[in-house]
Amino acid sequence: MTMAIDDTLELDLSAFGSTTTTTTTTTTTTTEEDRACNWNDWSPIVDWEALSCNHDEFQDLIQSMMNEGVLNHAQVAEEACNSVSTNCEDFKGLRLVHLLMAAAEALTGLNKSHELARVILVRLKELVSPNDGTNMERLAAYFTDSLQGLLEGAGDVQGRHLISHNKPHQQHHQTDVLAAFQLLQDMSPYVKFGHFTANQSILEAVAQDRRVHIVDYDIMEGIQWPALMQAFVSRKDVSHIPYLKISALSRGRSGCRSIKTIQETGRHLIAFAASIGQPFSFHLCKLDSDQTFQPSDLKLVKGEALVINCMLHLPHYSYRDSDSVASFFAGSKTLNPRLVTLVEEEVSHSGDGGFVGRFMDTLHHYSAIYDSLLAGFPLHDRARALVERVFLGPRIAGSLGRIYKSREYEEGCSWGEWLSGVGFKPVNVSFANHCQAKLLLGLFNDGYRVEELANNRLVLGWKSRRLLSASMWNSC
Amino acid sequence: MTGEGPEPNSTSDHIMGWLEDSVSFLPSFLEDPYDSNHINSYQWWCQGQDPITTSTNSLFSSGITTEDTITSITPTNPTIPIHEPVPSDSWKKRKVLDDPVAKTSQNNHQKKNRGRRINERTAGNKRGSSRGSANNCNNGNNKEGRWAEQLLNPCAMAITSGNMKRVQHLLFVLNELASSTGDANHRLAWHGLRALTHHLSSAPSISSSLASVGTHTFACTEPRFFQQSLFKFNEVSPWFAFPNNIANSSILQILTQEPDRTRNLHILDIGVSHGMQWPTLLEALTCRAGGPPPLVRITVIAATTENDQNLETPFSIGPPGDNCSSRLLNFASSMNINLQIHRVDNHPLRNLNTQTINASPDEALIVCAQFRLHCLNHSNTLDERTEFLTMLRNLEPKGVILSENNMDCSCIDCGDFATGFSRRAEYMWRFLESTSSAFKGRETEERRVMEGEAAKALTIWGEMNEGKEKWCERMRVVGFVGELLGEDAIDGARALLSKYDSNWEMRVEEKDACVGLWWKGQPISFCSLWKLDMDTQ
Repeated sequence: MTMAIDDTLELDLSAFGSTTTTTTTTTTTTTEEDRACNWNDWSPIVDWEALSCNHDEFQDLIQSMMNEGVLNHAQVAEEACNSVSTNCEDFKGLRLVHLLMAAAEALTGLNKSHELARVILVRLKELVSPNDGTNMERLAAYFTDSLQGLLEGAGDVQGRHLISHNKPHQQHHQTDVLAAFQLLQDMSPYVKFGHFTANQSILEAVAQDRRVHIVDYDIMEGIQWPALMQAFVSRKDVSHIPYLKISALSRGRSGCRSIKTIQETGRHLIAFAASIGQPFSFHLCKLDSDQTFQPSDLKLVKGEALVINCMLHLPHYSYRDSDSVASFFAGSKTLNPRLVTLVEEEVSHSGDGGFVGRFMDTLHHYSAIYDSLLAGFPLHDRARALVERVFLGPRIAGSLGRIYKSREYEEGCSWGEWLSGVGFKPVNVSFANHCQAKLLLGLFNDGYRVEELANNRLVLGWKSRRLLSASMWNSC
Repeated sequence: MTGEGPEPNSTSDHIMGWLEDSVSFLPSFLEDPYDSNHINSYQWWCQGQDPITTSTNSLFSSGITTEDTITSITPTNPTIPIHEPVPSDSWKKRKVLDDPVAKTSQNNHQKKNRGRRINERTAGNKRGSSRGSANNCNNGNNKEGRWAEQLLNPCAMAITSGNMKRVQHLLFVLNELASSTGDANHRLAWHGLRALTHHLSSAPSISSSLASVGTHTFACTEPRFFQQSLFKFNEVSPWFAFPNNIANSSILQILTQEPDRTRNLHILDIGVSHGMQWPTLLEALTCRAGGPPPLVRITVIAATTENDQNLETPFSIGPPGDNCSSRLLNFASSMNINLQIHRVDNHPLRNLNTQTINASPDEALIVCAQFRLHCLNHSNTLDERTEFLTMLRNLEPKGVILSENNMDCSCIDCGDFATGFSRRAEYMWRFLESTSSAFKGRETEERRVMEGEAAKALTIWGEMNEGKEKWCERMRVVGFVGELLGEDAIDGARALLSKYDSNWEMRVEEKDACVGLWWKGQPISFCSLWKLDMDTQ
């Protein structure tokens, strides 16, 4: 087993920026572990004052209420409450979940009552705070805010009366965003899991090619690619280093901030490629004003292996409109790509598709994320609060806003299903890729799980909850 | 208290008894802008109360001098018992349920509310305060504002359908939002939650002991405070004052139709007024041309519980030791009325007969049935109501006054638990909302007692209400015919009602010869006067 990993693993697990690494898997692992141990050192922004440790596993708690409950649950909880103090937190969590669910119920359905929703939200605000308290209290604070936004009707969930004073993603201070992103990277495998799994598939798919062209739907800071370049240059079984071209989709008019960010990303990548001897070029591909994708805008060269890379909605990503994603995939289909790598959120649809069911699914989903961050780094309340404030809070608001607006008629299908529907074929996940994912998760808390579904999809989960999946497709 | 008051002379001894009971609400009397008028409706009492009000009764002139003294000493009031929440088992349960954090925040919440109320008051709102008008917009007919029922009724439905997961969820939410001191919705949630958990935990053996534990009911008040609560309530809400007023007017109306002025009057009191309504009548009798009847008999049919609190009709049972008879007798003698009071205890309505009532043929018998007859069964197999009314018919009274809640029946024969519960909750909502408005949002012990007593409506197993039409139909079937209320009665009732919140409304319905009391467009109760139908005799 270990041998197999040594032979096949070509990826370096270290983070972007450690340019000196040309290592075997085992040493990399050690490096990563060391870094995990020393991660306190690298952030000057966050005060690492260790605060209290709250083990509120509210996953179980939500579960307990979703399941067929005991009749006198309150009494049971109350008895538990008497014996152990931490159970009081559980009990409070339970109360919060009931209130949130009731507020969601009051916003929709036959017995819709805005007055009831208002009263419940008033009560919730007395009980929660986005910055203090247990995980569940902080999570409930964001959900409360989001519901308040829905109640106020604008659908603009960044309303004025919110307790957490969330600003839209872009309005956070840049250093906060950066710090939060680094924290997220180090506290959880969410970002790396997607990048590594996709990269490994790309490496396998273009093993024999001399020219590789990657079209990246949402490149952000480009942190996915240095690792891939390193893997290219350090391959021992291939005599040549392939020429790599990356086309990054950009949105908005030239001169606007997002384009500047992407250009900056391009400069970083060019510099990095040069430093390790990776032949590389970087291109922008502008989307139309309505965010639709025109394949003709791509500069294609005959003989190059085309890879479509789509990272959707990782915790730190902006939300992308489904029409835009659909136009990207539909356009890609006409180009017959060698490989499509897709990473997307897994939100199960346990209910009947109604608002309350999907609301509870969302609550479940984010509570699993909160839970995983807590389990990994129980002492770093303020670090988690930063990640929550910068990334998770706004995403919760966004998710609930979309669910609320879409109501019943939105199809609950994943992009993977969509790809399959328009004729993309699944590409199997290699054994090595699966092992790599397991190895990655091994660096974090053992609550993380990876499972393979339908041969072409790796799913990252926290305990029993699926959170994120990476799937591979081609059009052959 | 008694020591501090002026030495009462022998004639006003009993008056002092009434006054003392009422001392605690003197301050609010004086504050409320309309109270000086209002007191007029209680003429037996107004002499000591308001020296400006002109009155013909010289017997009370001494009261004028006592009045100032009494108001000046009102800040210390030893007659009001301190009613802390009873530390019973069910209270313990609630306390444990509320964790410390919740408790604190709830307390803060309440403090805020209190502050706001004080502001409202100092803002010096006139009648129809801002609170009242806000309620107008949000509540009343508009169910949107009635959020408590939107949790209670689904919970009752879930209980009926056996969906325990749903029940549990809703109980959790109710527990978070319920409060015995908030607005009407919070209170309804609180009483409703208690009723539902009571229902869920009712093995019949323990339920009767649970029913009144932790709430403030008539039965657990101190007798003087009980009288005071009733008085204060009648002061601010026409819920009972209005039907009482109409009943008295009806009695006078019947007497005027009586050719023989020397006939004795016999009132069969099957009501919930606990004597509160009779002083006004007695005084009116003295003002009557020809003076009062030679003998006035009042036979009070006290409510029985048959040792089962689950069958107690709200407002029907006073605290042990409450005895209004002696006070009424003193009052009557002070007015030179020959009054006899006979109280029939431990005698269920359904067993009532001529012997117990001890009616005599040479007297004018008038039956005054208010808010009590609904506790009789009305099912097809055993129609106690018709049976009882037939018995009344056989007494050949000169008149029957019937006042009842004008709402749909909530008994188990008329719908499942959920249907019945929602109707009871609606009754309770109207009571709580109108009472909140009556007390102008103020938290008082009197209010607490009245609301706690009304909350029995949510837990009793017996029958509660029935629509006006069904009662009228039943009266006609057994041989009564509706009698239109005279102008005096209508005008008096209208005048009385104008002294309360403007959301109250009187509706005169010619068809059934009924007068209805309505709150924000919703029926509360009806009053009707019946005489023997000579055609069927």
